[in-house]
Amino acid sequence: MGQALRLTLMYLRAYLRDRTAVFFSLVVPLMLLLIFGSLNLGAFGQVSLAIDDQANTTASQSFVAALEKIDTLAVKHLSADAALAELKRTELDMLLVIPKDFAIAPTRAGQPVPTITMYGNDARPQQVSVGGSIVNEVITRLSFAVNQTAPVVNLKQEDVQGVRLRYVDFLVPGILGVNVMQLAIFSVAFALVVDKRRGVLRRIMATPLKPITFLVAQVVTRLIMATLQVLIMLAVAVFLFDVHPLGGILPLLLVSLFGAVLFLTIGFALAGWAETENQVPAIAQLITLPQFFFSGVFFSKEAAPAFIRPVTNLLPLTFLNDALREISVQGATLWDVRGQLLGLLVWTAIGLLLAVRFFRFDRF
Amino acid sequence: MTAIVSVRELQKHYGDIHAVRGISFEVLQGEIFGLLGPNGAGKTTTVEILEGLRKADGGVAIVDGIDVSKEPAKAKERVGVQLQQSAFPENFTAKETVELFALCYGVTVDAMALLKEVDLADKAGQRQEKLSGGQRQRLSIATALVNKPRVLFLDEPTTGLDPQARRNLWELVRGIRQSGTTVFLTTHYMDEAEVLCDRVAVMDHGEIIAMDPPRTLITALLGRGFTKPMIQQQATLEDVFLDLTGHELRED
Repeated sequence: MGQALRLTLMYLRAYLRDRTAVFFSLVVPLMLLLIFGSLNLGAFGQVSLAIDDQANTTASQSFVAALEKIDTLAVKHLSADAALAELKRTELDMLLVIPKDFAIAPTRAGQPVPTITMYGNDARPQQVSVGGSIVNEVITRLSFAVNQTAPVVNLKQEDVQGVRLRYVDFLVPGILGVNVMQLAIFSVAFALVVDKRRGVLRRIMATPLKPITFLVAQVVTRLIMATLQVLIMLAVAVFLFDVHPLGGILPLLLVSLFGAVLFLTIGFALAGWAETENQVPAIAQLITLPQFFFSGVFFSKEAAPAFIRPVTNLLPLTFLNDALREISVQGATLWDVRGQLLGLLVWTAIGLLLAVRFFRFDRF
Repeated sequence: MTAIVSVRELQKHYGDIHAVRGISFEVLQGEIFGLLGPNGAGKTTTVEILEGLRKADGGVAIVDGIDVSKEPAKAKERVGVQLQQSAFPENFTAKETVELFALCYGVTVDAMALLKEVDLADKAGQRQEKLSGGQRQRLSIATALVNKPRVLFLDEPTTGLDPQARRNLWELVRGIRQSGTTVFLTTHYMDEAEVLCDRVAVMDHGEIIAMDPPRTLITALLGRGFTKPMIQQQATLEDVFLDLTGHELRED
């Protein structure tokens, strides 16, 4: 134990001296956060919603009024044709068409309910997804009120009103996830392939040091770097971008580290498989790039084409980002995100099998 | 003198290649033993089996009373190792590199004293990757000495070094033997074996084809009627080179 700890400290010191490694594990993530955080700061501020109220009755007006009360929505009244034109020019996020037969009345069995048509801007999936949930929420509320039933789940009013989801709020958990992935995969794969090729690992294995002690030191070094990375980014998010992770800092850190462990296993598998460091970037990019775009880092994972969504929804980073985002944005607890954590666990098991298969000390 | 390394009927295959074909030899305590042979003769494989880095397919290798294949970890504690490609983790200074290896053996050392022993005290704070080839070989020997080994294995220690650095390393190896450590080295430089080794074994195609003190082997060859086609020069080009450039190390 003492040996592993001292080995970790030695490797950590060396890691912090390596300017390239520090640049990629601390500076680049911060740049990503600063650039994307400020570039789009406020861009999400509101969801622009056009309403074509073809009914124009007391009922429809009260429905529209309910929507207008919500800060997140910027509501304007437009005819469906004009609004569709704006949607096509991506000047508008959403359009609601309230049909002539719109009414707010108790539902009766067998009687059709009015259908509101909602159009969304494909180019702005996060806005559409947020706007859609707000509209749904309002409809649900109206239904409860009219049908005189108590909601199965109670939701506080300010939860809807309070969703002032800015882009940076959406961005921060994604940035945490993607950078933990990059750090874990690249730092292990590069460093250990170089050490393997140059005979460093072989030299260390010529000492009585147990491979597990060496591995623990390598893993803990990266976990400390990941902790440092997450805390620095959260500090910037909180103090510079005024992001308030609702679920707290500690759960975010714990889930990030869980993700780091998962991606470390992939890093080790890669380091074991690759013969030279030249092979690392290609394979690492192949692994990370799809997740960069399809796992909900900079934009919603729903932006992925529908036919690959069943796959992209199962990517390791998707599980990680979803868990982080639910904790950060919705205030979820670790128990609430147990589904995603289970997904991470399955991937960790897969990664571990690959690492054990490819990262063999007796072959160095 | 007693044997500190004892090898009997050692075998090693790599697929179809029979790299080591049942060799047997002993290394005596306190000697400098050289394993000679062309590239691919099986020298490195033999040494790596003795170091506990490779498993033999057959035969026995005993180092300081320990059966290496049965207790590799215990054997590793008793030997010092310099591999053919000596490389260390980056961003460690020379002193930290020594400390790293001491930690790997679970021992504490006076790193500065060890560096002084290999003439690297003034480079203690320098990153090891910035050292010259000869300096790195000496650092490599320092790391091989952290556990006060009973046997020091040096695999082609002077390959790639300039004449000054080679001679400097020979002095270092003699000093280590003087302090009681048995030295087992491989080389394909015959001059090095001749001046440094008490006994040599010549290995080719996985077999040991001769084993004796260098002088004995030379005398035996002459006894078989061998003569060089030319009269031997009293000096070589290397002598000229050293005369012109001096014996001091040039490594900065």
